[in-house]
Amino acid sequence: MPHTPKVAVLFGFGINCDHETAAVFNLAGGASERIHVNSLVDGSVDLEEYHILAVPGGFSFGDHLGSGRLLGNRMRFNLREQLYNFVKAGKPIIGICNGFQVLVKTGLLPGREEPDFIQRASLTLNNTGRYEDRWVTLDFDQNSNCIWTKGITRMEVPVRHGEGKFVVPEMKILDEMDATGQLVCRYVDPSTKTGEGITDEPIPFPFCPNGSIRNIAGICDPTGLIFGLMPHPEGAYAGWLHPHFRRDGRPTPSPTSSPFSHIIEDDTTSAEPNRSARSREAERDAWQGEGMQIFKNAIEYARENL
Amino acid sequence: MSMNIHRIEVTPKHGEGMVDVRGDVIRRQLLADHNISIENISSVVGFIVKVDLDEATISKDVEVLFADPIIEVGNCNKNILENEEIFEHRPDAVICIGFKPGVTDNPGTAALDGLRTLHPDISVNSLISTTITYSLNGLPKDLDLDYLAKQLHNPLIQKAIVKDTRKRSVSIPQLDFPERPNYEYHQPAVVDLEVSDEELIRISEEGILALSLLEMQTIREHYRKPEVHEARKLLNLPEMAPTDVELECLAQTWSEHCKHKIFAAKIEHHDKETGEKSIIDSLFKTHIMKPTEDMQEEVNWLLSIFHDNSGVISWSDDLNLCIKVETHNSPSALDPYGGAMTGIVGVNRDILGTGLGARPIANTDVFCFGPPNWQGKLPENLFHPSRVLSGVHAGIRVGGNESGIPTVNGAIVFDDRFIGKPLVYAGTVGIMPRVLPDGRESHIKTPAEGDLVYMIGGRVGYDGIHGATFSSLELTEESPSSAVQIGDPITQKRMLDMVLEARDSGYITCITDNGAGGLSSSIGEMAEYTNGCEIDLGAVPLKQSGLSSWEILISESQERMTIAVHPDDQHAFEALADLHEVEHSIVARFTTTGLFHVKHGESTVALLPLNFLHDGVPQLELESEWEEPKLEQFIPPSVVDHSELLLQLLSRPNVASKETLVRQYDHEVICQTAIKPFVGKECDGPGDSAVLAPLYGDPHGFVVSCGLAPRYSDIDAGAMAAAAVDEAVRNAICSGVDPAKMAGCDNFCWPDPILSEKTPDGRFKLAQLVRANRELERACRGYRVPCISGKDSMKNDYGKGPDKISIPPTMLFTLLGDHPDVRKSTTSDFLGSGHHIYLFGETREELGANEIAFMLQEKGLTKGVGGEVPRLHDIGKNLKMYTALSAAIHSDLVASAHDCSDGGLAVSLAEMCIGGRQGASVNISKISETTLFARLYGESLARIVVAIKPENIEAFENSMSGNHFTKIGKSTNNNYLEIKSASKKILKLNIDQMVESWQSTFKGGDF
Repeated sequence: MPHTPKVAVLFGFGINCDHETAAVFNLAGGASERIHVNSLVDGSVDLEEYHILAVPGGFSFGDHLGSGRLLGNRMRFNLREQLYNFVKAGKPIIGICNGFQVLVKTGLLPGREEPDFIQRASLTLNNTGRYEDRWVTLDFDQNSNCIWTKGITRMEVPVRHGEGKFVVPEMKILDEMDATGQLVCRYVDPSTKTGEGITDEPIPFPFCPNGSIRNIAGICDPTGLIFGLMPHPEGAYAGWLHPHFRRDGRPTPSPTSSPFSHIIEDDTTSAEPNRSARSREAERDAWQGEGMQIFKNAIEYARENL
Repeated sequence: MSMNIHRIEVTPKHGEGMVDVRGDVIRRQLLADHNISIENISSVVGFIVKVDLDEATISKDVEVLFADPIIEVGNCNKNILENEEIFEHRPDAVICIGFKPGVTDNPGTAALDGLRTLHPDISVNSLISTTITYSLNGLPKDLDLDYLAKQLHNPLIQKAIVKDTRKRSVSIPQLDFPERPNYEYHQPAVVDLEVSDEELIRISEEGILALSLLEMQTIREHYRKPEVHEARKLLNLPEMAPTDVELECLAQTWSEHCKHKIFAAKIEHHDKETGEKSIIDSLFKTHIMKPTEDMQEEVNWLLSIFHDNSGVISWSDDLNLCIKVETHNSPSALDPYGGAMTGIVGVNRDILGTGLGARPIANTDVFCFGPPNWQGKLPENLFHPSRVLSGVHAGIRVGGNESGIPTVNGAIVFDDRFIGKPLVYAGTVGIMPRVLPDGRESHIKTPAEGDLVYMIGGRVGYDGIHGATFSSLELTEESPSSAVQIGDPITQKRMLDMVLEARDSGYITCITDNGAGGLSSSIGEMAEYTNGCEIDLGAVPLKQSGLSSWEILISESQERMTIAVHPDDQHAFEALADLHEVEHSIVARFTTTGLFHVKHGESTVALLPLNFLHDGVPQLELESEWEEPKLEQFIPPSVVDHSELLLQLLSRPNVASKETLVRQYDHEVICQTAIKPFVGKECDGPGDSAVLAPLYGDPHGFVVSCGLAPRYSDIDAGAMAAAAVDEAVRNAICSGVDPAKMAGCDNFCWPDPILSEKTPDGRFKLAQLVRANRELERACRGYRVPCISGKDSMKNDYGKGPDKISIPPTMLFTLLGDHPDVRKSTTSDFLGSGHHIYLFGETREELGANEIAFMLQEKGLTKGVGGEVPRLHDIGKNLKMYTALSAAIHSDLVASAHDCSDGGLAVSLAEMCIGGRQGASVNISKISETTLFARLYGESLARIVVAIKPENIEAFENSMSGNHFTKIGKSTNNNYLEIKSASKKILKLNIDQMVESWQSTFKGGDF
């Protein structure tokens, strides 16, 4: 039961969201380390030492030959045993954006109870043919057993990709995944009510930014421990990263407040010493971003189960 | 096993939810850009693999490596377009495009890496070349296939085969492996300089050396010195003449690109308007360096200025920021995609090579192009502006996105004259710890005698020879293709990851990038620290054998850094490079001999005293003469429909939204971008500047903004420069920058200002440069913005004689400033109704060279664009106002703030309405005693529009007392912008109409 779970954040070969992913796991209460893929391959770092594995976003190998494919192959051929053992030990794995593409091409997602490293789905070019950076709205399947998304209903997050359209060879695979709660989050029309946005029918661009089948944004494996998504929850770690932070009524920040100080009581240097702990806490929560919850969930899970 | 060539081809599957997006994008692009309608286009990616594997083995890899089994289908050594199971219909036409030999092929490199994952023991000589083939069905009548192929490839770097395949007898074409021609190593040649002046000029011109007669003579003089003979004799060098290695090395080091000779020149300046006659000893020292050095005495945050790859300021107690902006104009003219990409990855290396290494965290990009809808004549060898735009955009997009650095700020300006030479500015902000774990300050390089000098990253090839000297010449039809390169952002990313780890481990004593001039410049500059170096060209890894010594020394092949390491750290440094799969070679050692000593194996091929190499270039002596250009006056038409006029202004390329282009840049990777390029309710209103919070969990931030106004140079280049500085400053103020901590970066792009046969107006162009520098100094001193870095590109012309095109003199000013708390940034969008709208600053009758004047002139409604140009009047007053506004922003008194620039107040208000999807009702009668046109569309500087919530009015007005402002109206819940002057209705526009006009210009084509 680690109080501070250790998080391995992969990097190298064009992964480029490793710093922020590591930082956000730390803000969520973990102890993260950026680990070069080759350090796992040559054995200088042992994956078993870690409680959580993150494959961050980026452009591994420039997306040449298809996003995530070459890094997926390196992992499939060079890290197979380590990954197998990590999964079998019941440890959470997340793949974000390019990391999601890597996990799909490695065969860990949608995956089987018994990892077999066979690719069964893919992520391909957006219908627009364009790489785009924009914010989207996601709704989460409340019946999913995904440990990463517990308690999350809706979230606004950025997408930044050119190959995010989720496809499978046969539609019945999606029916099965839906039934088991593996279709964890979908792009939704932001004007729908929270919890009522999910639909199998295609919703228009830009609500669904890539033409993903059934508007799928993220999926998990049957155990709910391996989670991959195209949007960037770490990109919504702080309130000030939200494009509407000046419009959505967040409290005025007090001069010395830090939204990520873990112990509110220590905030005695505040310019407003009379402010109650409660109001300071409210302000802190308002300036923490919605995306934090995903990382906190995994840290919490690791604390309780590993 | 011997080497075999296999051809693997891959194409997308068709099925539910699966389409050939790549083919379809080309189909849409041909329709949008060229009005060519083709029913269907399929795409095939080809991998021509040269490897010691047999067909049976590599066939098994098709689905494991080359094709995605879910969405693609592939085959090996069959022509996939003839495979009827995959392609039901035979193509009507086929276009195959592949790289020319030696051109960087990133997908090919990646595929080879993937093949090595599967077969680690394949030959080191294995190679993969990629191709793209378009299969066309349903052709329009009279289609010119050759024209079509021309639109889809650049013959400078690619080759294409195009065939009409409707007749069964015509076989489906395929490209062959692009075999590199064999290069033959040539022994260093002796160049006899004891020849006539004409002959000296010929040597310089034919060798693309870009050296003047005086410079050639100066070099000759060096080889006449007896003491030089002594040293040369000992090393078996020609005693009285340079080797080609030495001459090339001097040409690179002395190039305008590297030495900034015009900015260092002694100028005799004559102002015919005022009668002033004066001597300026170096524009750079007088007007840029001196002001910054003076300011350095007053503030404690200017750490490293001018002498390193970028300027460094301290930002927090623990961290420094640095900034650099580069231009890549000539390469972008020849190959827009590769030129722009190498521009952005190149400037990132400048940051990586600052101090002991900094991390790039933000990119900026500013372009100047010909009009995208240009219908006029195009000079030989130049691309249509729309193609330059889409190519440059793609290069910046790929270069920036794949590097994992957010592109946060920029601008695009259009003018006919940029057809002759597009301007492509790429900038990078970097961050570095103030002190490294080993206690050294990170902005100071610490090389010592005996340190090992590594070249790491990419290899040296024939690509990239003569970039520095080429960019110091005007563009001609014969400009060399070897000056064009394609970047490899992933190789660079690996190197960057590795270098920053090496920095933190304390292995690096000195670092710089290999840009212009290649190893000759990078090692040559580093050698100044210890006063000497000895290079071995034989140790430099090559892309192909056979390169001659001078080629290895000056090649600008990309993705390389030069790093010095103490011998004790050799083993650890190399182990780290191996872990990251970064190639490394020791190519030199630092000495204290005072010599730049180059060997190739055992023999010496160049020996140049460092002081001659770096300080031997003679100072240019130039004359400038200022006479005000006589332009026809801009006289506004008396009867106009202002509603219609504003809609037209909003759709002008210079004003219109570039969101379609900008969204394709990742502007928030690394999760620091608080204020993004587009803001507001629908995230489509214009952002004035970017605000980033680089510490995770901490709202302390910084601001990046920019300003440029090339067309003001038509009247006065001085006004142009002042306007650029003011625009950058006021953009930053609108977001809440701390005006006490702002630093600038000046980037001059000028037409050749040296009087000559081909530049008869050289004196005038140089006078423009003088005036721009003087105004730059005045603005920087006035706003207390020290220039900490800058660059100049001085040969932005095309052609000769009457067909010559010279760009309008342009200075981009980029600003980097501190932001105490990003949560308190303001943006341009109206946040609600009933907010009071104020215009700050004075509106004058300054419509000369304004956007409205150019627009009406183009429409034939007025004749001239002349008149008073916007000028920077009372800087002290402006700074006081800016400082008070920033303070009001940080006291939470300001709801919205937006700068007033192209198109004036009317455009600013329209943009604030668009951003907030909120109406406004405004009366402009009290702004100033000027014409209606000046008040509506005039671009007088130092003006900002702000909106204040009613409850904050009193406090706000109190805090702004003593400054010039006019209350002009309120935001409303109505769906329109309404402008009156006194009781007269001027215009009324629905927001949806304004959105449509503002967004439609760049929405059409697929860029």
